[in-house]
Amino acid sequence: MEALQRVVRTWIASEQEEDVNTAVSEVDNGNASLLDLVKALGEYLTSEEDELRTKGVEFLSLVLSKCLPQKLNRQSVRVLVNFYCGKLEDTENIIPALKGLIPLTSMPAFASTDAIEVVRALVNHVKMKALVQSQRFMVYTIVDTLVAKHRDALKSLGKEFLSGYISLAEGEKDPRNLLLAFAIDRVLLLEFDISAHVEHLFNITLCYFPITFRPPPDDPYGITTDDLKNALSACLNSTPLLGPLAIPLFLEKLTAGAPVTKRDTLKALDSCLPVYGPSVARTHARKLWNTLKLEIFQPTDSATEQAALHTAQVLIKTLYSADEAENKGSEDIEGLAKDACEECIQILREPEKSQAKPAIKVMCAFMETTPSVARFTLAQVTPHLVKLFLDPDELPNRGPTLRLLADVIVAARDSMPKDPEVLPAEEDIPLAPYKDEVLGVLTVGLTARSSAQSALDGLKALVTTRGLLTDEELGFVVHKVNELLQDGQEENEDISDAALDLLTTISVSAPRHVSETTLPLFFGSLPDHAPARDDQAARLKYWRTLSSLATLCKQSDLFETLVVRLLTKLDLVCDSAPAASGDIEPSAAYAHSILRTIADVLEAKIKLGHADVVKYIDRLVPRVYNLFIYSALVSEGALLVATEPRLVAVAARVITLVVQTLSAQRQEPFVAALFAAYVHGDVKQLAEGHQKIPSHTRFEPFDVEASSSQKNLLALFSAAVVGLHKEVPLPVSDEAAFLDMLLRWVVTVADNALQRDAVVHTISSIVNKRIEGLSAFLTDKLDVFWTTQVASTTQPPEKRREAILTWTWVTKALLVRGDPRAADHVDRFFQLFGDEEISWAAARAIGGVVAADNLLTKKNHAVIKFLYAQKYCTSVLPRIIEGAKSTDGSKQQNAHLVALTSIIKSVPKAVYVHQMPTLMPLLLRGLDLPDYEIRASVIDTLLATAEGSSSSATKESSILAEHASSLVSTMLKNSTVKDMPSVRVRISALRFLAVLPSAMRYDVLHPQKAVVLRELAKVLDDPKKAVRKEAVEARTNWYKFTG
Amino acid sequence: MSSEIFNPNPTIFAPTKSARSLPPGVRLHSLWLDDGENRDEEQDDSNAFEAIDQDEIFELIRSISDPEHRNMSLEQLAVVSAPQITFDERNSDRLTVEFTPTVPHCGMSTFIGLSIRVRLLRSLPTRYKIDIRVKPGSHQSEHALNKQLNDKERVAAALENPALLEVLEQCLSTVGRDVDAIDT
Repeated sequence: MEALQRVVRTWIASEQEEDVNTAVSEVDNGNASLLDLVKALGEYLTSEEDELRTKGVEFLSLVLSKCLPQKLNRQSVRVLVNFYCGKLEDTENIIPALKGLIPLTSMPAFASTDAIEVVRALVNHVKMKALVQSQRFMVYTIVDTLVAKHRDALKSLGKEFLSGYISLAEGEKDPRNLLLAFAIDRVLLLEFDISAHVEHLFNITLCYFPITFRPPPDDPYGITTDDLKNALSACLNSTPLLGPLAIPLFLEKLTAGAPVTKRDTLKALDSCLPVYGPSVARTHARKLWNTLKLEIFQPTDSATEQAALHTAQVLIKTLYSADEAENKGSEDIEGLAKDACEECIQILREPEKSQAKPAIKVMCAFMETTPSVARFTLAQVTPHLVKLFLDPDELPNRGPTLRLLADVIVAARDSMPKDPEVLPAEEDIPLAPYKDEVLGVLTVGLTARSSAQSALDGLKALVTTRGLLTDEELGFVVHKVNELLQDGQEENEDISDAALDLLTTISVSAPRHVSETTLPLFFGSLPDHAPARDDQAARLKYWRTLSSLATLCKQSDLFETLVVRLLTKLDLVCDSAPAASGDIEPSAAYAHSILRTIADVLEAKIKLGHADVVKYIDRLVPRVYNLFIYSALVSEGALLVATEPRLVAVAARVITLVVQTLSAQRQEPFVAALFAAYVHGDVKQLAEGHQKIPSHTRFEPFDVEASSSQKNLLALFSAAVVGLHKEVPLPVSDEAAFLDMLLRWVVTVADNALQRDAVVHTISSIVNKRIEGLSAFLTDKLDVFWTTQVASTTQPPEKRREAILTWTWVTKALLVRGDPRAADHVDRFFQLFGDEEISWAAARAIGGVVAADNLLTKKNHAVIKFLYAQKYCTSVLPRIIEGAKSTDGSKQQNAHLVALTSIIKSVPKAVYVHQMPTLMPLLLRGLDLPDYEIRASVIDTLLATAEGSSSSATKESSILAEHASSLVSTMLKNSTVKDMPSVRVRISALRFLAVLPSAMRYDVLHPQKAVVLRELAKVLDDPKKAVRKEAVEARTNWYKFTG
Repeated sequence: MSSEIFNPNPTIFAPTKSARSLPPGVRLHSLWLDDGENRDEEQDDSNAFEAIDQDEIFELIRSISDPEHRNMSLEQLAVVSAPQITFDERNSDRLTVEFTPTVPHCGMSTFIGLSIRVRLLRSLPTRYKIDIRVKPGSHQSEHALNKQLNDKERVAAALENPALLEVLEQCLSTVGRDVDAIDT
């Protein structure tokens, strides 16, 4: 007791936190009771001096809020409640009293009778308007606790509590308090008998609608607009009683509000209408519809339009859901849905007008409401459109009519249940009753140019409606589309695209129709022999046919047919005797297109994850090898189509695509056959086809004496090897020795880029995947290669550049798998920077080793380490930057600049973006290098930076801003044909100028505006159309750019 | 600007595609399909002059929005079309752009003409001299309109009006965008 008194005295004097804690521990330990504390505080609690009294109460409240709740027995709580309620009358003491009531009300010993007393005291004595936000917050907290814990007691108070609370909450403005108040409001609206107070409750909730609160920047309280919106919305949709008052308010906000308000109101309606129920909705249905109609037919923006359509759906659902049971089966409905449908039908009498579009949107929206409304809507709109289509007076409007009908079919389809397992019964397919007439007008629509596109869209929606069309009807659709394709394929590209799309869709479920009727049509139109060189039209025709086939034949049955038919065609084209002129190039180009088609479809199939690609190792690959090996062997001296290198290259693509999909087990026998053919000349297991491979000439492409056409076929060897899994061993006695042979072959035997690339790719792929046994090769053999082929100045520069390329590929193989030996390899490139002949080639290789490629990829089962590019950049970028800044000789410096541009071009932006401030001046210097390729890639890098900074106001934009004027003048110079002959650079520079206004603040660029507009006016007269287009875009953006 | 609506429910026309597309990889005047490599060099080597033609000019103005129906382009309402752009046979730097108001009493016609004029002023080389006129017989005050649109002083004066300029920029804000992008 003594101790307490001392504590109290010191606190009154100094207000130290520790005094409160001492008192709390006294009470918690049971050394003193709260009553003792009250006694100790006695003189202060009753002091005549306002300040002392306040302090006394404050101290009591502080202790109360910190001590253990169970220390207070019923008796003490009772006393304290009485005490505090009394203090609420005392204006000086309201605040500490509220502080005390907060912990008190949540104590277990706090009883319902206390709750009633507290509420009464609050209502009678607290004047909210006199309190500041934090104090009002305390009042709400107390009420919230009471509502949560003593709800029944408050209910028993009835009107007294409700009107009391309403008077407390009225006029609240602070978002922090409102969040709490809304939570209380919702409980009152949901659980209390509010019938007498609806209007008042409406006044303390709906007056806040719509929420326009915007949190200040760096708001410490973290209350968002959405928090408030959600809390308020939970009040609004809590009870139907609010409906009659709320809907007129919503209507008013909808007509008068800004777009955001409109969307908020529509959202509120969406959540409230179902709660308010059909009778409220019916009273206001007309008015609501009229307002919504305005938003749909004269939309302010598409988001509001969508929201209004959705609200219309909610309205209809609210109105009709209840009657659904009685209406089952009946075709007719009454009320709003009927009126609205009739209004729309009225508008749809002019299908070509702009209002027809929103009208059909409304009807489509209705189809996703209740079954009876959906049925009614469809029964109105479908026959109407069909009749319109068939009306001879409306002939010119058939296109727009079908456009609308297509939308209806899509909506009808999407309104069906989406369970893919269950095939819908006929009565569940909304369109079933109208199937025949709809199918009829759509197929008629196909025959006219103006309506074909819409008819195709409609048909596509029809065939994708599950369970609707029979197999026979699908066949009919395919037949009609075939006719369309035959008629007007060349004239109308869009239509044939859409037609192919439709056929592709059908072929997913019913490939038979397409393979039986459509494919023969296409194959029939492919010529057996290549058109003559000057027959551009015929060539374009077969290109179109092949491109159509490629689109169509991804489905596995169709692809099988495609492969069989195209291989036959390929044999025909390649076997044909050369024309009298001896010009085989058109044939080779045709064969190339055929193989390219197969490759494109394979690639698409792999992307789609089709499993049937694997089987083409037996059906396609041996035929390809056969054709090419045969042609290479018999061609000695004669001209043959399949010896054309470009043809070999595309065949290589086909082989890689198939081989990479095989499992390691399946790859092993294939590799055995491959090596038997290429290393031992035994082609029987690898190649198979109708051309008979001659036995008198040996196939030995690695031989020094081999013909160039044989050596070219190493591309087909490489194509297979690069797709192997790393577990597949090569069927040679020593892989290192094999690689050494390949390396020497590249240097001494290869006679063109195709052969060199093929063998270098093979080496790279093997090094990457089978590095285990290769360490001697990597150190010794490669070191010799470097010294004799790259570093040695006795070699001609051309040879040295080729050797650098080889070196790049080996380095790359090591780098992507994170092998530490890559670092030494890269280091050697830097040593060449002083070499006048090849310094730029070496510098480009620095970027070349991380550039993306088609070879060392996941698909080809390469060993790739995560983030290898990032690690590489971290290690070489500082060195390059250092070198580019140093001043010892501009040659070294330029080489470093070239290295910088090439590396930046090769890696993702995220890797170097944090270095931008250092890189920027260097890149600007790179723009002065006399190489267009480099300039273009520098500009592209800057462009990526500028585009990045337009999305986020970050550091990047300030880096650009620092160099604004020099950037602008350099880019202008690079965009005029007079100063910059390269089209590519001009286009890049103009693109950069075009994004600049969105990447920088106006005040930074303002001084440049006049110059840019004047200079760009000259570029508008560029000789190239593509450049002019960019110039127009850039100039437009600068015109729009204002402060 | 008056708030009167002259044509609340205009007819919509399907837009034509910008250019006929070729199958992927096809290059005219070449036997071979393009393999996606060595593309740039080919593009770069010549700066042979490609003249500005009807289509290029149509491309510039087709996607201007209609002042009365902002979500529709002049092309969709058939106010402008490629054949309505003609070059003077004697002087290739003179061209006439004709447009068709949707209704003869359309009070927005001057404004449409002005937006075409401004777009072309900004996008064509200065050597061009452009006449903008309404299609003969398509507007009740055709003569006055044509006079107004081709009077330098009056065009300049109109562009001094900030309110007018703002609406104009809005109509021009859709230019260059894909036709499909507006049509939603």
